[in-house]
Amino acid sequence: MLNRISPQTLRILALLAVLALVLLFFSTQVPNYLNGRLFNRISSSVAIMAIVACAQTLVILTRNIDLSIGSTLGFVAFATGSLITNNPELGPALLLIYSICLGACFGVVNGALVAYARIPSIIVTLATMALFRSALVEYSDAKSITTGNLPTWLVDFPNYKILTFGSYQLRASFLLAVVVVIIVHIALTRLRAARKIYAVGSNPEAAEMAGINSKRVVLTAFVLAGALAGLAGFMFLARFGTITVVAGLGFELKSVAASVVGGVNIFGGSGSVIGAFIGAVLVDLIDMSLVRWQLVSEFWREAVLGTLILLSVAADATLMRRLVAWRVAREKARIQRSTQS
Amino acid sequence: MKRFTGLTAAAAVLLGSTGFAVAQDGAVSLETGKDIDMVLLPKFLGILVFDQANEGAQEAHAELGNPGELLFVGPTPENSTAGQIEIMTTSATQGQGAVMLSNNAGDQISPSAMAAQKAGTKVVTWDSPIPSGEGEDVFVAQVDFGSIGVVMADMAHSILEGAGEMAVLSATPDASNQNAWIASMKEALENDEKYADIELVDVVYGDDQAEVSYNRALALVDQYPNLGVIMSPTTVGIQAAAKAMQDEGLCDQVRVSGLGLPSEMVSYTMNGCAPEFALWDFRDLGYLTYYTAYGLASGQLSGDIGETFTAGRMGDYTIEADPSREGSKRILMGPFTVYNSENVEAAAK
Repeated sequence: MLNRISPQTLRILALLAVLALVLLFFSTQVPNYLNGRLFNRISSSVAIMAIVACAQTLVILTRNIDLSIGSTLGFVAFATGSLITNNPELGPALLLIYSICLGACFGVVNGALVAYARIPSIIVTLATMALFRSALVEYSDAKSITTGNLPTWLVDFPNYKILTFGSYQLRASFLLAVVVVIIVHIALTRLRAARKIYAVGSNPEAAEMAGINSKRVVLTAFVLAGALAGLAGFMFLARFGTITVVAGLGFELKSVAASVVGGVNIFGGSGSVIGAFIGAVLVDLIDMSLVRWQLVSEFWREAVLGTLILLSVAADATLMRRLVAWRVAREKARIQRSTQS
Repeated sequence: MKRFTGLTAAAAVLLGSTGFAVAQDGAVSLETGKDIDMVLLPKFLGILVFDQANEGAQEAHAELGNPGELLFVGPTPENSTAGQIEIMTTSATQGQGAVMLSNNAGDQISPSAMAAQKAGTKVVTWDSPIPSGEGEDVFVAQVDFGSIGVVMADMAHSILEGAGEMAVLSATPDASNQNAWIASMKEALENDEKYADIELVDVVYGDDQAEVSYNRALALVDQYPNLGVIMSPTTVGIQAAAKAMQDEGLCDQVRVSGLGLPSEMVSYTMNGCAPEFALWDFRDLGYLTYYTAYGLASGQLSGDIGETFTAGRMGDYTIEADPSREGSKRILMGPFTVYNSENVEAAAK
C-alpha cells in the first residue's frame, strides 16, 4: 500500500495528520476552541498568505527565493488603493488586472536580475525587498489609504459568504485562494510548459541539455510570483482597508516558512503548492492558537513558532529518507528473490 | 550643564554679549536666527502622525528663522531599531546641533545617544522617550503618561457603562510609550473605586501592523466571550480592531477605543464600532519639540529643572522632573482631545 502512494501525496497526508494533531492538542488547552468561528477566522486570514506561499513556492521550485514578496504585496496594495481612491468609478476587473500587472512588473525586475545578470536570488531579492519598500515610503508620501475612501464592493468582497453551514462560512476570499492554488497545482502537474519549472529546479544542467531555456523559466517563475503577490496585494487592500507603509512586512519569511513546512524543498525541484497551502494553514493555525494559549507569553510565541517550523522540516526530511531507504531495501529484496528463483 | 562643548560654549559667549532675553514672568524668550542644523528622527518613515510632527517642526523652523538645516530622516519600517541607532551615530559625526528622536529602540539607543551628547549634539526625545533616560537631555511628553491611563480607563468606563471586561491591543511588546500608558491605566483601574467593576482580562500585541492587529483583535473576542471593549493605544491597532469588529458584525458586543487618528476612525465612530477615542495634536508636538531643541542647542536654555521658556504660539512651558521615569526631565505638552460622534467629522477634514 505504502509504495503505491507517491512521496508527494504521502507528504500531504502527513501534513494533514499534523494539522489534526495540532487542532486536537489546542482543543484540550483552549476553551471554546473547536467551532465554526475558528474555521471562519483561519480561512479568512489564511487566504492572503496561501496565495503568497503559492507564489513563493513557484520561485523556490526553481532553486531560488523571493524575499521581496512582502514589499511587492505592500506596494501593490497601496498603489491599488490609491488608484481606486482617486478613481472610484473603476470596475473590479480593471482594478484586479492593475494589481496583477503591477506585481508582475516587480517580478520582471527580480527575474531579469536573477536569470540574466546571474546574481544569486537571495542577494537580488534582499536588495529589492528594501528597494520596493523604500519606493513605497516615497510613493505614499506618509499618507495612508483609509477604508472610508474605498468603494463598498471592494471592502465587502473578502467576507462575502458563498455558502453557510451552521456557523461555518465559506467566504469569497478563501474560495478565491483555493481556486488559485488548485489552478496553479493543475498547471504544475499537467502542463508541459509548467513542468519545466521542476526540471530546472531539480537539475539545471540536465534541463539545459534537454533543450529547456532555464533562464526563461526562472524569469517566468519570478514574474508569476510577482503577479500572484499582486493579487495578494489586492486582497490585502480589500481585507484591511487601511494601508500604510508597513503593509505586508514580514510576509516574505512567513511565506518561506509556509512553503517549507508544506514540504517544498528549499533546494528546488520538489514540492507542491497544495503542500504550501496546507503549510500556510498550519502556520496560521499555530500562530492564532498560541495567542489564545495562556501558557505561552507574547515573548515566547515567535520562539515556539520557530521551533515548530524546525521540527516539521526535520521530521519531513527524516521521514522521506526513511521511506526512500525502505523502498530501496524492498526493491533489492525483490530483485534478489527474482534472481534466486 | 557640567560639560561645556565647543558649540554650547561658543553659544554661551555669544549670549554673554547680548544678554539673556528674559520675559517678565521669568520665561526665556528664544532669540531667532541662530544657525543650528537639526535632525527630526521618527520611529520610521511613512506614518502620518510623524509627518504631521515634521510639519510642526518645519513651522517652528521657519518662525525661528534658523538659517541651518532641519532634516527629517528616519529608518525604513523593517529596520527601525538598527536604523535609528545608525542615524543617531551619523548625526553626531556630522556635528548636528540637535537630534529630535521618537525612540523605537528602547534602551539600545542609549550608547549612541550618549556618544552624540559627548560630541555636542543635544538629544531631545518626543512621542516616545528613552526608558532609562540615559543619553537624553529632555523628553517632550505629548501628555502626562499617568493621565493617558486615566483617560483610557474613563473611555472604557463610559463605553462599558461602568462594568464589564476590557482587553488591551498594544503595539510592540517593547514600545516604551505604550507600555507606560498601559501601566498607568492598570494603576488607575486598581486604585480608583470608580473602575471597580471593570476587569482588564488580557494585553496582546499587534506589532503596529494591520494584519497582526486585526487577527489579535479577533482572537481576543474568541477567547473572552464576555469582552465589552478593546482598548488600543496605537493608531494602527485601533483601526484594525475596529475594522475586524465591523467585518465580523461584532460591533454590538465589542466596542473599540484607544488612541486614533480622526481621519482614519471617522467611519467607525459614526457607525458605533468605536464610539470614543483620544489623541493629541502631532503638529503641536513637533512644534514644541523644535522650540525645545533649538533653545538647548543654541545655549539659550540650560535644560535645568524649573526653567521656563516661551514656545511661540503655544505659550510658556517649564522643564520638570519626569514622574514616570526617575532622574529624567520632561516638558509636558498636553492636553488631548477625546473624539466622539459629535466632533470627529470636523476633525477628520
